[in-house]
Amino acid sequence: MKKSLNCLVIAGVLAAGSAWAGEIRIGATMRMISENGQKYGEMMQDEFAAINESGGINGHTVKLILLNDECKSDKGVANANKFAYQDNVHLIIGSTCSSVSLPIVDVTAQAEVPQIIPHSTNDQITRKNSAWVFRVPISSRYYKGVVSKYLHDKVGDQIAYVYASDAAAMSETQGLIQQMRDVYGVEPVYEAQTQEKEIDFRSHLVTIKDLNPDAIFFGGLQEPIARFLVQSYEVGIPASVVRAAGSAASNAPVPKLAGDAVKGVFFSAAYSDSDDRPIAQLFNSYVRSRYGIKGVDHDFSQAYDLIRIVEIALGNADLSLEDDDLAADRTAIRDAIANVQGYEGLASGPISFCADPTPECRDGNRTPVLIQYLEGGEDFKVGILDRVTMPVEFGL
Amino acid sequence: MLTLIDGIEAFIGRLKAIHPLLPWLVALLLLLPVPHFTANNYQVYLINFICIMIILATGLNIVKGFAGQVTVGHVALYAIGAYTSAVLSTKFGMPFYVNLPVSILAAMIFGVLVGLPSFRLEGAYLALATLAFAQAVEVYIRVTNYLGAASGIGGIKPPEFFGFTLRNYDEYYYLVMPIMLLAVYASFAILRSATGRAFMAVREDPISAASMGVNVRRYKLIAFVMSAFYAGLAGSLYAHMLPGYVHPNNFTVIEMVTVLLMVVLGGIGNIWGGIIGAIIVTIVADITREYYFYQLLLFGAVIVGTVLFMPKGIGGIIDRYFVNRRFVAARELTAVAKRGVVGSASREE
Repeated sequence: MKKSLNCLVIAGVLAAGSAWAGEIRIGATMRMISENGQKYGEMMQDEFAAINESGGINGHTVKLILLNDECKSDKGVANANKFAYQDNVHLIIGSTCSSVSLPIVDVTAQAEVPQIIPHSTNDQITRKNSAWVFRVPISSRYYKGVVSKYLHDKVGDQIAYVYASDAAAMSETQGLIQQMRDVYGVEPVYEAQTQEKEIDFRSHLVTIKDLNPDAIFFGGLQEPIARFLVQSYEVGIPASVVRAAGSAASNAPVPKLAGDAVKGVFFSAAYSDSDDRPIAQLFNSYVRSRYGIKGVDHDFSQAYDLIRIVEIALGNADLSLEDDDLAADRTAIRDAIANVQGYEGLASGPISFCADPTPECRDGNRTPVLIQYLEGGEDFKVGILDRVTMPVEFGL
Repeated sequence: MLTLIDGIEAFIGRLKAIHPLLPWLVALLLLLPVPHFTANNYQVYLINFICIMIILATGLNIVKGFAGQVTVGHVALYAIGAYTSAVLSTKFGMPFYVNLPVSILAAMIFGVLVGLPSFRLEGAYLALATLAFAQAVEVYIRVTNYLGAASGIGGIKPPEFFGFTLRNYDEYYYLVMPIMLLAVYASFAILRSATGRAFMAVREDPISAASMGVNVRRYKLIAFVMSAFYAGLAGSLYAHMLPGYVHPNNFTVIEMVTVLLMVVLGGIGNIWGGIIGAIIVTIVADITREYYFYQLLLFGAVIVGTVLFMPKGIGGIIDRYFVNRRFVAARELTAVAKRGVVGSASREE
């Protein structure tokens, strides 16, 4: 009895092993604790399911394992370790938050698994010079260049900065302050850091009002940005003072929560809802109907672009997908992603990678688009101010 | 299962009879080859993490279980240990063997600060004071650029001994596992010492303890400092484990609830219970990783369920089993002795 049971277990294990063979395994770790965060994850699942329904990639099906890291580095690291060593994935996608992507870079470098980043903007991620990392979104080093130039040329140099305590906001805002200092010799008229979950910014805003700046810049996540904008009017800062915000201002809840206070606010992002290209219009209506999202932000477009880039790379990679060839398959996928050149999707500019493990090669998109809110509310409207492709070595 | 527990207890008893340290030496020898029996590196990573959680839970058990002080600031001391190591390693280039004791010392100094309110506060009020301390530490780290603020501190070097660097989880296991065993052994030693008895006296009734000559304030403070020792140790080990990255998000109230769950589920005041709790909670958290929507709900339900139906936790059940068994054995022994006495009396007649 015991012997036959053992045989059954062994047969089961072997069957599971053979079921794995021929399957491309992808692990995704993302921040799925907000409504939009869950939708990005859902979209990834749906897109890979659609690839499988249409025959897979070179006849191979894709298995996506999606885990939540709650924007916590320890959970992200655990997820990445699980993907790399237990699930034996061929590719890791993640994460949404820079503070999670940063340590995962070290895990994927040691395990030698290719990692492609959907949303994190912190410039330190690619400065680690890992041969296994690729970034689809725009690095904060490019954002700061575009915003600083626009502020200096079109707005003025008297700028007040307030930023929340999240990795992306800090990197974006502090980088911008440094850029204004280094390139234009301008010091901030006011600089303050707030708590990640702080909701009352009026003490800062009252001080800023007395300083009468040309512009106020706020770096933070979507809800704090919306509150900050509303409160800036509540304390009586006139509309003539330009309001600018970090790339998270692109997220749909900002105009919905801020209402008319969002009018005139500008920010830089990787995608604009008002993009008039047919592909963008098609994408907007697809996301609206399928996920019930009114304002399609750049995190949706970046997740979508990432899937298409992965599809292209997997299609070009010479994969055996046998368990013994896992390391070779991972290397082949890494090299195939590095060979993606001039991908034109939803992003504001072409996305290209190359083989060197440097930020120049691994920050794929270097075309931020400057966007301004024309109307707020649920049916908000935005306009494109400018689209700038930055020099590849900018900010290094 | 019960036969197995009985067998283990008998085996430990025989080893103890030879030398009190022998069971621990055998445990060390049994645990040494564990990485070779795991299926992959991820499992070794999980075991390392469990060892760190055991140290952390054992520390919490000293102050909460032994001394009866309601603290929810333990995770802040863990953060202080981790960040001290991170700063020393990345900003001063100090090696692990320097960082570890300094981190422990830093956590112990803050342990005194956490312990001071316990002189005047008890129960929910002490819990609130320690919660405020935990929040203050998290917020301070989050806004301090020197401490990496919201970006965290990366690049913490792995431990190096005589030119040999612990670069992967397998190698790190041989550092973290013996330290965990030593920490658990020390907690048993504390429990059995005069200090441990004083802790328990303070827990049961501070006024009675004081009337018996126990310096209540002193022992409350010692409990907090000892607990901080464990938290600092766990924090330093966590910081130096791959990928060598610490972030304020790893030291929030949710982490505190998780460590509390380990102690409550295992059994407050029961060292083995705390260890079992740390193992179960870490494994359950891993297994339910894909059901992340329900994870915290599950943890909360387990805490409520344990408090309602199993107030002494898993350790309490095991303890009750042993107490019952000893009681039955003693009763049988008495009955046999009585029969013997009766038999010899009737023979004499």
